Amino acid sequence: MDEAANSGISEPLDLVKLSLGERVFIKLRGDRTITGILHAYDAHMNVVLSQVEETIHLVDVTEDGNPLPPRVERRNVEMLFVRGDGVILVRN
Amino acid sequence: MSGFFGFDTSLPERGAQNQGKPQQQQGFSGFQVPGTNDAFALGGAGEEEDLAVYTWGESTGGGLLEGGDEMNDETFGDDLGGITNNFQFSSQPAPQPSKGYGQSTATGKIASTQSRYKPKAAYDPFAFSEDDFYSSRPSKKSTTTKAPARPKPSTAQSGSVENLWNKPAVSSPAWGTAPSAMTRPTPPSSASLPSQGPPAPGHIKSLEEIEAEMAQMAMPSTSSAAPTQQKVFSLEEIERQMMEQTVEPPRQATPQQPLPPREATPTQVPGLAASGYSSQQALLDSMFPELGKGVPASGLGQGTPSFVSDQTGSHEPPRPSPEELARMEELHQRITAKIESMAKYNNLMGSSDKDFITRIQLSQLATADPYVSDFYAQVFSALKRSRMISEGQGENPTVVQVGAGLGLGVGGPVGNRFGKMGQNTMTKLSTQVKKLVENRAQHQKVANTAALQGALGRVTRGNAAAPRPVLAIPTSNKPENRPTSHLNEQTGIHRAALTKKQIMFALEELYDAILELEQMRRDAPPPTAMEEIELWHNRCQAKVDIIWRRLMVMEPLDISNPHPFISLINPIKGQKLFPRLLRHLPQNQTITLLSLLVATYTQLDVVARAPPPPVADSSLLTKADRLDRAKREAETDNFLQFVIPGVDMIVNRCGLGLVAGMLAISAQRSEVWRVAATRPGIALYTALLSKAQSVIRTPIPDPMNPQQSQPVDPAELDQWTKTFTYFLHVLLPHLPDLFPSSLAQKAAFGPGAYLLGGENPLAEREGLEMEKREAEVWGFVAVLAVNAQEEDQTALVGALREKILHTVQAARHPSTTKERAEMKLRNVNMFLNGLGLDASMIE
Repeated sequence: MDEAANSGISEPLDLVKLSLGERVFIKLRGDRTITGILHAYDAHMNVVLSQVEETIHLVDVTEDGNPLPPRVERRNVEMLFVRGDGVILVRN
Repeated sequence: MSGFFGFDTSLPERGAQNQGKPQQQQGFSGFQVPGTNDAFALGGAGEEEDLAVYTWGESTGGGLLEGGDEMNDETFGDDLGGITNNFQFSSQPAPQPSKGYGQSTATGKIASTQSRYKPKAAYDPFAFSEDDFYSSRPSKKSTTTKAPARPKPSTAQSGSVENLWNKPAVSSPAWGTAPSAMTRPTPPSSASLPSQGPPAPGHIKSLEEIEAEMAQMAMPSTSSAAPTQQKVFSLEEIERQMMEQTVEPPRQATPQQPLPPREATPTQVPGLAASGYSSQQALLDSMFPELGKGVPASGLGQGTPSFVSDQTGSHEPPRPSPEELARMEELHQRITAKIESMAKYNNLMGSSDKDFITRIQLSQLATADPYVSDFYAQVFSALKRSRMISEGQGENPTVVQVGAGLGLGVGGPVGNRFGKMGQNTMTKLSTQVKKLVENRAQHQKVANTAALQGALGRVTRGNAAAPRPVLAIPTSNKPENRPTSHLNEQTGIHRAALTKKQIMFALEELYDAILELEQMRRDAPPPTAMEEIELWHNRCQAKVDIIWRRLMVMEPLDISNPHPFISLINPIKGQKLFPRLLRHLPQNQTITLLSLLVATYTQLDVVARAPPPPVADSSLLTKADRLDRAKREAETDNFLQFVIPGVDMIVNRCGLGLVAGMLAISAQRSEVWRVAATRPGIALYTALLSKAQSVIRTPIPDPMNPQQSQPVDPAELDQWTKTFTYFLHVLLPHLPDLFPSSLAQKAAFGPGAYLLGGENPLAEREGLEMEKREAEVWGFVAVLAVNAQEEDQTALVGALREKILHTVQAARHPSTTKERAEMKLRNVNMFLNGLGLDASMIE
């Protein structure tokens, strides 16, 4: 049933292509995740996103080295270029 | 140099003897190797006595005059000409490699790209690679040097810098361990075992090797005669030494013995010698053309010292006369001076270098189709250009257009992009780029893109000739033979709806097709060429047909829910495609498309899953809920922005009969009040009804526009009236529920019901938004009123009576802000005025 669609998909990036113009979820190194509308990407997984919400997961450490409970920071960016070396996964 | 590492391990007994000396001998091999070797062989004492090595005048003259010439024929397999040729500075050690390549590559010593390319016959300034470029340089040297000792000049000179970079086996170990290598004579490779080639790049030194190396590093300081010469070694000299040393080891190990015959044949010499040097030499030539002519220097002597020494080793060379010696000395000084003067340009880029870099860079930008490969840059530059023109900055060609359909991928204002380059330079650049692009195109045809298909996609190997494309999207040229282009392979009347993946895939295909079509339209041939225009039209039409098939509009209505076409315009991506599609479709197809759309309107996401009425307090919602609402709102907004204008356009082209037909279809196939309760539904019906009204209300033919002046067909009018009456009667009981405020009121529960419409100042903005949405519905009922017969108008007012009163009262309520009150009144009046009434008449 998916044959026709699959025949045109020969490599992983073809799947990313299907998400162009859609909101995607991207997991980044450094405990960050972002969601945004995918505008462009390349072979290095550099991506351009708009209406981005970035989520950073932080664990603060007290002076005596005890970790505090993890907290989350969020920020919104209108338009964002993400360098590909930080991308771990892209999800539609 | 590299051979040095084989030194101790292979020939320990000789190593002990040679450790001191040969380093010094070799130290001058840059241009003195023949001499030193001569001295070495001649005196015999040289082996014991360091001093003998430094009898420069004698040995140089002897070596150069005698040894070089004698054996040149044998060496090069050709007549070498006069003696003076030996001193030709600019002649290269190149001759050997041309034959040597085969062997040298066979031994795996050299990584050369040269063999991949055929030698070029003519000078090609737009060479694709550096290889090509230098290989095709005009043989200036061949005219100036008269040295006919090049069996294949083109290949011989075609070594490249690449080669230098590609042979770490030769250079890297020494550079790494001996930092002073640039100024210090390179150590000899004399002791390297014949059987043992230069060490591999990753060669790990043994203890003895390191010892030997350290000993050797200490040596140069002891050699007193050398310093002046040592300094003048240029990069080429050192390179050449390295090359020689890779050649020499077998002979150096047995200097006193007659060589095996095969050693003397030129084919034995690895092509290494020429690889790096010749390109640099070419560069130097371009920088200092006078060098090649002015100094009849010892190019050959330098280049082939090993042959000289080998051959003369067993002979007794005649002594040169004192005058000759003096001449040689002078010559030598001149060479030294020249090299010194050149040396200060080491590590600097010459103009040809810069040219070459520019060419590489430009070739990356060059594309056969500037619009396709860099669409956004082109559009951006077009916008910028128009702005500049409007600012009166004159009209300069900003896109580097090269011929028909060729150009640089990125255009930009000339002044900014190319700095101070003038118009002249620009035109020159254009012609250059044109040739470059052609060259590149030719190359791309030849070079097969070695792509390894693997599980993780395709691995493309890039090189200078065929740089890896940043994004390799395979363009399959398979003919489209899908059965009615349905993505599902199912047959039968009913099929499953397209999956998300299929939809996205189909959309990408559509986008590709649309982009191609738009590009095709831009490439319209000149209006004079009739046949071309014919062809072009046909091509465009074929493309449109493909698009039409891919839209799947002609699939049976009930084939799936949602219909494939509806599936396509459900995502925002598809909605954005809609207006671009309509531009290309012929009218009958657009009408078919609209009919389908109207018939399956309920299947649209924006209708079936219309955003729920707003709640008073969004904090009551979960996050997922909020996101979902936002998404649906965004989809609706996009639908109204992208699809509805297209729908309006198509409706405006329809006659009354068609409009009536569409309304009938909608009324039959869907519950109109449900559709009308959504913004897209309201927009669709408003468009249909107002078009009908405008057709009915213009009985007076417009003399300016005879197309529009067809009188309304009574049958059509009759059909319309019937359809509309039915439509209105179905809708009438639900009329008050169409208003978003009513819907919100209905949906509200708990505290939200009280908050809604309350005096919350924060809600004011939402309230205004609500009024705007109300206005859409008021506009719709106004069109209903205009179309309705008189008795129906009464019914209409009756159905809306409460709503009207409520709205007018709310507008007059003191707590309502002035702005919102005005909006409310305007909304009501929109409807009432259509009936000849006004809100002010209401008590």
